[in-house]
Amino acid sequence: MRENTSKTLRGIRSSRVLKAIAFAVAGFALLTPKYSVGADSAPRVVLNTSKAGPRAMESQTETVLLRDYKFAWANLEQALESNSTAPINGLFVGTANAWLTNAVTTQRSSGIRSRYLNQNHKVEAVFYAPEGDLIELHDTADYDLQILDGDKTIHDEHVIVHYVVLMNPGSDRWVIRQIQAVPQF
Amino acid sequence: MSSSINTACTTRKSRIGSEQWCRVLQADVRGDVRQSVRRRGALAFAICAVFLAGMLYAQDTDLRAPSAAVAGTPASIGTTGGGSATFYLVGPSIAIERAVQLGQDIPLTAKELESAGKYIAIVCAGNCRSVGFFVAPAKPVSLAFLVHPSRAPVGESNVVSGVALPFDEFHNLVLTPTSVDFQLTAAGAAPVSHRASTQNGAAWFRTSSGRSAGNLQITASINGVSTRRVVQQVASDPCRLQIKGQRNAKGFVVETEPVRDCTGNPVPDGTIVTFTARDAQGTDTVDAPVKKGIARAQMEGTGPVTISAASGVVMGNELHLGAQ
Amino acid sequence: MRRLLPIILVAVTVLLMVIGLTSVGRSGGTVGIASGSALPGFSSNANTPEQALSNFLIDVQRRNWDRAFASVERTNDSVNEQSFIQEWTGTNGGLRTFSSLESYDARPLHATDSEAQMRVRLHWSTPVGPMEDVRDFHLVHRADQWKVVWDEVPVPNVPSQVIPVNYLRWDLVQGGAGEQWGSNNVDSPHVRIVSMNAVDSAEGAVVMGEIVNEDTIPAFVNVQATLVDAAGSAIDDESSFDKILHVLLPKQVSPYRIDFPKVSLGKVKNVHIDVKATLVPASSDPVIGVMNQKLDTDAQGRAVLHGELLNQSGETVNVPHVIASFYDNNGKVVWVSDGYVQRALLPQESEAFAVEIPKSLAGKVQNFHVVVNQYSMHNS
Repeated sequence: MRENTSKTLRGIRSSRVLKAIAFAVAGFALLTPKYSVGADSAPRVVLNTSKAGPRAMESQTETVLLRDYKFAWANLEQALESNSTAPINGLFVGTANAWLTNAVTTQRSSGIRSRYLNQNHKVEAVFYAPEGDLIELHDTADYDLQILDGDKTIHDEHVIVHYVVLMNPGSDRWVIRQIQAVPQF
Repeated sequence: MSSSINTACTTRKSRIGSEQWCRVLQADVRGDVRQSVRRRGALAFAICAVFLAGMLYAQDTDLRAPSAAVAGTPASIGTTGGGSATFYLVGPSIAIERAVQLGQDIPLTAKELESAGKYIAIVCAGNCRSVGFFVAPAKPVSLAFLVHPSRAPVGESNVVSGVALPFDEFHNLVLTPTSVDFQLTAAGAAPVSHRASTQNGAAWFRTSSGRSAGNLQITASINGVSTRRVVQQVASDPCRLQIKGQRNAKGFVVETEPVRDCTGNPVPDGTIVTFTARDAQGTDTVDAPVKKGIARAQMEGTGPVTISAASGVVMGNELHLGAQ
Repeated sequence: MRRLLPIILVAVTVLLMVIGLTSVGRSGGTVGIASGSALPGFSSNANTPEQALSNFLIDVQRRNWDRAFASVERTNDSVNEQSFIQEWTGTNGGLRTFSSLESYDARPLHATDSEAQMRVRLHWSTPVGPMEDVRDFHLVHRADQWKVVWDEVPVPNVPSQVIPVNYLRWDLVQGGAGEQWGSNNVDSPHVRIVSMNAVDSAEGAVVMGEIVNEDTIPAFVNVQATLVDAAGSAIDDESSFDKILHVLLPKQVSPYRIDFPKVSLGKVKNVHIDVKATLVPASSDPVIGVMNQKLDTDAQGRAVLHGELLNQSGETVNVPHVIASFYDNNGKVVWVSDGYVQRALLPQESEAFAVEIPKSLAGKVQNFHVVVNQYSMHNS
């Protein structure tokens, strides 16, 4: 029986070691490419304006909107990862700016960082104001969300989030005034 | 001992690979360990098993998200298990960290849940568990009301438009469909009402400008909350620019008849009228502003002169004055 | 030998310096043209008209007013040293008060034993760039010397008077930063380009035309143009800078001109025009009349539009700036030119102006429109 017990214990130990090695190898294999792609890749945004109304969207507006929305997400990612408010200031105004600034400052004081990796955004313009001074977007975004406390990853999840976004024309760009996640559209 | 391990194992069932680990451990505790306590070294194993079980008990916890959280309303996150842990809440405008006791509800204050959107609650005690939940906007208490243009020429169709967006007290966009009442009031005209329901958080209208210059007051109301904007209805381009002139000691004075648009509204003071006088000496021009409805200019010259006037791209009549 | 070489070098250098300095005012590349600059020099006796004028202008450059005033022959007793100085240094915050005489070129028009006529190009450096002033001087031979005749009539003082002005002002009230979204919805003024023309000039491509403020409020406008080649790439982009009436009152029309130095229109496929209009506080005063405008040829044979600016208001315009658009017989803008008036425009007083038209276009010009930009110290 002693033999059995010791065999079992040895088995447990060896299986734990094997598992740990397997997990470590798998984790390394999975995470390494994820980080390198995430660090280099810009958000991918696809914009559909066919349902925008009551005003039809001008092609130039569409181009600028796509460019600025993409930049905005890249800046958001940078701000929340580096805990710096500087990237927020150009493309976020009003409530969006206040919320993100708050998020960054509270993250900084809590020692937390967030990473939005491998972003894909399927964006649909659902409202374009008659005078062209407001656009509402529905963004179905999927990305890898990592939350870190210091260097320790405390949350790592691939998420699909629906965002309702209000954008205004600024002096030379479209800026985000409101960005609000919802369970569904 | 066995039950505690059982509990630990049950709570860990959802974890990948944990069942096999638990079966092995339970078999150890119920069978082999009971026999081996009589043997040498069994005590060490028992201590190890108790320690491991305790660790598992402390680390394993389930998180229950608030079912229908509303912005600015306190809520709580239910936890199971025991021992101390670190709690993190990451939301649209917040990231906090604090120590919590597992097995007890974690209270979330109204302040922590002011922004509508997705939140992630994380509890770490060795391992980390997380749960996501949404916070919905509260009741609408204000309206963002965008009205354009701020100045509209009279008599133009579909020139005035407005968009109303309801917000709660924490600046969250309220997306639940709600009726918005638009009321348009201009001096000397009956008020006009229009009701529209919000779609995706926005309600809008479009209308024509009136025929009289003056302020057009536009009010958007929702659940007793209203926001007012003013559109200035202004005169259109001058319709008939008529000038007259007479000689004086310095030369001659030329002035317009009261300058009006085609619907009879006087053009705003400050509108520039360009007077041009041509005589043998050359050309004189004066950009004169309309003051009290009339533009006036003093010009020089004693010989016969031809005078014309223009305002923007609108030309007036020509006037000939003989020699003094 | 070791010591001799440095001594020779120093001696030659000193000799050259003395020659260089004493020759100021007489040197010139062209026979009959005297020129000078702000370099220090020694005035010698005025034995020739050129020498007399040169001495005089060097004194003016150095602001050696006592000697300069002493060297002129006055024809009018009302001219005193103060008014003489003001003629050169400007008054009332005019452009001349911020300018300095950099150099000059003098050319004799005619000369006898007793008198001479000299034409001088005075090169001024000013805050708005280098400016050239052409002036004819009359010199007479008195005793052993030539003297500059100073016949400038001093600028009359504006008599004390009350000028009633019904001020029209547009003030801009801006809400605080914490205002609700949508509450500060005062639209930008509506302005429109009413004409545009692009031509090649000696200096490069020029884009010009006219712009109108169609709104009921004043607008601060600026026009930006981008030249695009056949491949759709931008060749250059420039703005109208000071060649536009920046503050446009309601229904006011302004010329604009955008210069693209060293760019040929041959390469240009498209011109993109971008107009920026912002709401500004403004006043409709002062009103400046542009009187006696005439197309003419000046003393140097250049085609010019000249006339007089008459300040019809009660406030001084420190730096008047004239911008003129010239039209052909189809009403198309064929040229836009501008010029600064060096003297301040006093209330109820007039000042002469002249703007040049390229000779090649002078024959085409059938009509013109002049506007006046005004810079007043108390408004800036």
